[in-house]
Amino acid sequence: MTNMIIRRVGWSLLVIWFVITATFLMTVALPADPAKTMLGPQATADSLARVTERYCFDDSIVVQYGCWVNNLVHGDLGESYRTRRPVTELIGDRIWPTLQLAFAGVALALIGGIFLGAIAAYRRGRWPDRAITGATLILQSTPPFVLGAVLLYVVAYRWDLLPLGGYGEGVIDRIAHLILPATTLALGGLAYYARVARTELVDVLREDYVRTARSKGLAERDVLLRHALRPALPPLVTLAAMDLGVLAGGAVVIESVFRWPGLGRELLQAILDVDMPVIVGITLVTAIAVVVVTLIADLIQVWLDPRLRVPATPHS
Amino acid sequence: MRWMLVLLFACSHGDAPRWKEAGGPPRAGGTLRVASYGGVNTLDPAIAIDEISIAALHPIVDRLVGYAPDSTELVPRLAERWTISPDGLTYTFALRDATYADGTRIVAADFKRSFERTLSKADSPFGPYLAKIAGAQDVIDGKASSCTGIVAAERTLTITLTAPNAALLYELAMPFASPLTEAAVTSDLRTAPLASGPYELARWDQGQQVELVRRPRFYDPARQRIDRIILRENTPRDVQFMMFDRGELDAAELSGSDQRWVERQPAWAPHLKSRALMNAFGSRMNTRVKPFDDRRVRQALNYAVDKQRITKLLMGTSTPAHGVLAPGAFGRDDGLAPYPHDRQKAIALLAEAGYPNGFSIDYLTLPDEQAEKLALSLQADLAAVGITMTITQVSPATWGTAIGKPSGPTFSIGTWVGDYPDPLSLLDPLFHSRNITDDNSTNSSFFTNAEIDGILDAARGEGDRAKRAALYRRAEKILYDEAPWIWGYHQVFNEVVQPYVRDYRPHPVWVRDYTSAWLDLGPDGEPVKR
Repeated sequence: MTNMIIRRVGWSLLVIWFVITATFLMTVALPADPAKTMLGPQATADSLARVTERYCFDDSIVVQYGCWVNNLVHGDLGESYRTRRPVTELIGDRIWPTLQLAFAGVALALIGGIFLGAIAAYRRGRWPDRAITGATLILQSTPPFVLGAVLLYVVAYRWDLLPLGGYGEGVIDRIAHLILPATTLALGGLAYYARVARTELVDVLREDYVRTARSKGLAERDVLLRHALRPALPPLVTLAAMDLGVLAGGAVVIESVFRWPGLGRELLQAILDVDMPVIVGITLVTAIAVVVVTLIADLIQVWLDPRLRVPATPHS
Repeated sequence: MRWMLVLLFACSHGDAPRWKEAGGPPRAGGTLRVASYGGVNTLDPAIAIDEISIAALHPIVDRLVGYAPDSTELVPRLAERWTISPDGLTYTFALRDATYADGTRIVAADFKRSFERTLSKADSPFGPYLAKIAGAQDVIDGKASSCTGIVAAERTLTITLTAPNAALLYELAMPFASPLTEAAVTSDLRTAPLASGPYELARWDQGQQVELVRRPRFYDPARQRIDRIILRENTPRDVQFMMFDRGELDAAELSGSDQRWVERQPAWAPHLKSRALMNAFGSRMNTRVKPFDDRRVRQALNYAVDKQRITKLLMGTSTPAHGVLAPGAFGRDDGLAPYPHDRQKAIALLAEAGYPNGFSIDYLTLPDEQAEKLALSLQADLAAVGITMTITQVSPATWGTAIGKPSGPTFSIGTWVGDYPDPLSLLDPLFHSRNITDDNSTNSSFFTNAEIDGILDAARGEGDRAKRAALYRRAEKILYDEAPWIWGYHQVFNEVVQPYVRDYRPHPVWVRDYTSAWLDLGPDGEPVKR
C-alpha cells in the first residue's frame, strides 16, 4: 500500500511537470506579443521595445523557461501581464469560489444521478427507465451556456426567485447565488452519472448474491438499496473525482454566465489576452487538483471494494 | 442568448420604467449602481489603459485640466489657469488651492513626481506620451531621475517641450497625469489609488465590484453630487439589461438589439443616451504589397462596400465613416461623405488596375459579433465584384501582433480608439510614416505619403486652432482619396438610465462619467414609484 502511494505520488509529480511545461511552451509559441497585452493594442514601438527588454520577452525560450521554473520553485508564479496582480494572490482569491461551485455541482450531480439511475434500474425496460434515459440524453447534449442562460432568464428574471448572478455575501445570500450555477453544472453531469449508475446497478442486479438476497424474500427495493448500491458506487466515485479535479480549474462557461468570480472566468480572459503567467498558474492548479483527487479516489475505491485490499502475492 | 431577448420583448415585461423623477432642483445624495461587461484591471493611473479601468479611475483622480460636461472643450481643474509661451514651448500652470482627501495640500511637486514615475516605469504605456517634454527621454532611458523640463515651485508648474506640440494639454487631462504625494509613490496604487478627485475608493472586490464614495474637502461639489457609485464588473450586457429592468441597476450598457427595443418604447426612449465614440473601424490594407499597392484597387474596394447594410446589421451602434475622424471631431472635413456603394465603378477600377477578373485574398478578423458581421458583409460585397475573400478569426492579441509587421497579413480588420478628442490621437499613429517599424507599426496600412507626413508635422506644432483645423481637413481629403483603409464605421455607445438619473449623457471622451449627474430620488432617498 505504501509502495503504491509512493509510486503514484512520483508519477503525479511527473504528470504535473509535463502539463505545465507543455502549457508554457504552447503559450510562448503563440504568435502574439505579451508586451502588447501589457501596454494595450495601440502601444508605440518605443514603449513595446522597453517592456520587451525589461521582461526578457526577447530571450530564448530556454532562458524564459529557466527563469519561470526558478521563480516557481520559490513559490512565485509571476504577475499577470494584463492587471499586474501577483498570480498567487489571484489564484488565492479565486479558488474558493471555484471550489464552492465545483463541490456543490458535483454533489448535486452525484445525488441526482444515483437517484435517477436507481429508479431507472429498478424499473428497467419500463416507462420510468425510458423517460429518464431520454431526459438525461437531452440534458447531456445541451451546452452549459444554453442551460445556464435559460435558467438565469426563467428562474431569476421571469420568476424573480433567485439573484441574477453574482457571488453574494453571508451564508444565506451565498447559497441563493450558488443554486443556479451549481444546478447548471449538475444538470450536465447528472445525465452522465445517471446512465453510469443505471448500467452498473443493472449489472450488479444480475449477480448471484443478489439472487440469494431475493430468494431470502427481500423486497426488490431493499435488494437495490442494501445489497446492490454499494458495489455499484466505485465507478461513480472515480467519475466524480475526475470531475472535481477538472472543475478545480474553474467552470469556464458557467462562471461567465453567472458572474461567479472563479478561476474559470480568469482563465478565459487570460487566454484571450495571452496572459501567460495566469494561464500557466491556473493550469498548474488544475493539474495538481486532478492528480490529488484521482489519488484520493483510488483510495476510496479500495475502501468501497474490499477485493482491492488483498495484498499482492509475490508471484502474481 | 439573443433569442431569449426576443422572448423577453414579446412578453412585454418591463415596457415602461418602474420609477419616475421626484422633481426639484439638482441636489446631492443617493447611490448610483452601474455595471460593465468586463473587469477593472488596475487602479494605478500610470498603468490603467483599458476603458473600464479608466472609467473606475476617472472620478478618483483629478488632473490639471479636464473636459466640460458633455463637451470636448478643455477647462481648468487643478490648474486654475495656464499660459503658453509665444514659441509654443513653455506651459505655465497656476495651481488652485486644493487638497487630497486627508487634507494634504496638492502642490506642483506632486505633478513632477507623478510624471517622473510614469516616465521611469517601463511597463507604463504613457511614458512615450510625456517624451515630448525636455529631458524626459533621459528619465525614460534611466540616465536621469529628474526631468529637467518640469519645474515645480510651490503652486506653479512649468513644463518645457522639445518642440511645439498641441497634444500636451489633452494628454495632461488623462488619468495618468494626476498628482501623487511622496508616500503614495511607494504604496500599492493598483488597489489603493490616491484620491485627488471628487471620489475615493471605498472598496474593491477584484473582479466583482468597485465602490466609490464622495470624498471630503473637494473644491467642486457640482462634480460629486452622488454619494456613492457602485460599478459591478464582468456583467454581460444582456444581464445588465435584466438587472436594470428589475431595478438592480440605475444604468445599463445596451447591445444593438436592446437599443432597438428601448428606442421603440415611448416610455423608455427619453432615457436612452447615445454618444458617437472617437473611434474608427474598417479594413486596413497593406499599401506596400500587391494588389493594394495600387490606389485604384483600394478605391474600388471602398466603392464595393454597402455601408447601409453594415449600419443595419450593427443595429444603431454605428455610423458610416469616410475616414477615421468621427462626427463632431475637431479637424474633420464634414463636406466629405462616405464612398457611395457603386459596384460598376468598383469593377471598372479593378479592370483599369489590371484585375478584370478580380483576385483571391485572405482576411484576418476578430472573434466578436461586430467584427464577424463586418467581415461577412465585406465578403459578400467583394464577391459581387469578383474578389474571393477567405476569413480567418484570431484572438485580439494575435491580431494586434500580426498587423504591426510589414510582412504580416495584407488585409484585415482595422480599429483605432482615440485617447483624446484631437486628430493627433488618430491620424498621426495610423498614417504618419514615422510610425512604421519592422515589428510594431501603429501605421498598420504602412501608408507612406510625404504630403500627409508634412501636413501632420505642421499641424502638430501649429498654435492657431483654425489653421490646425484647416490642415487636418486637407489631410482628411488626401486620405479619403488614397484610401489606405476601407472606411467602415464609428461606434455609437448606447446606454439606458432610470428616469431619476438626471443631467447625464455619456461623455465624448470618458464615455461613462457620472460626475456631473445627480439622482432625483424621493425624500427617503429611494426611487419614487410610477
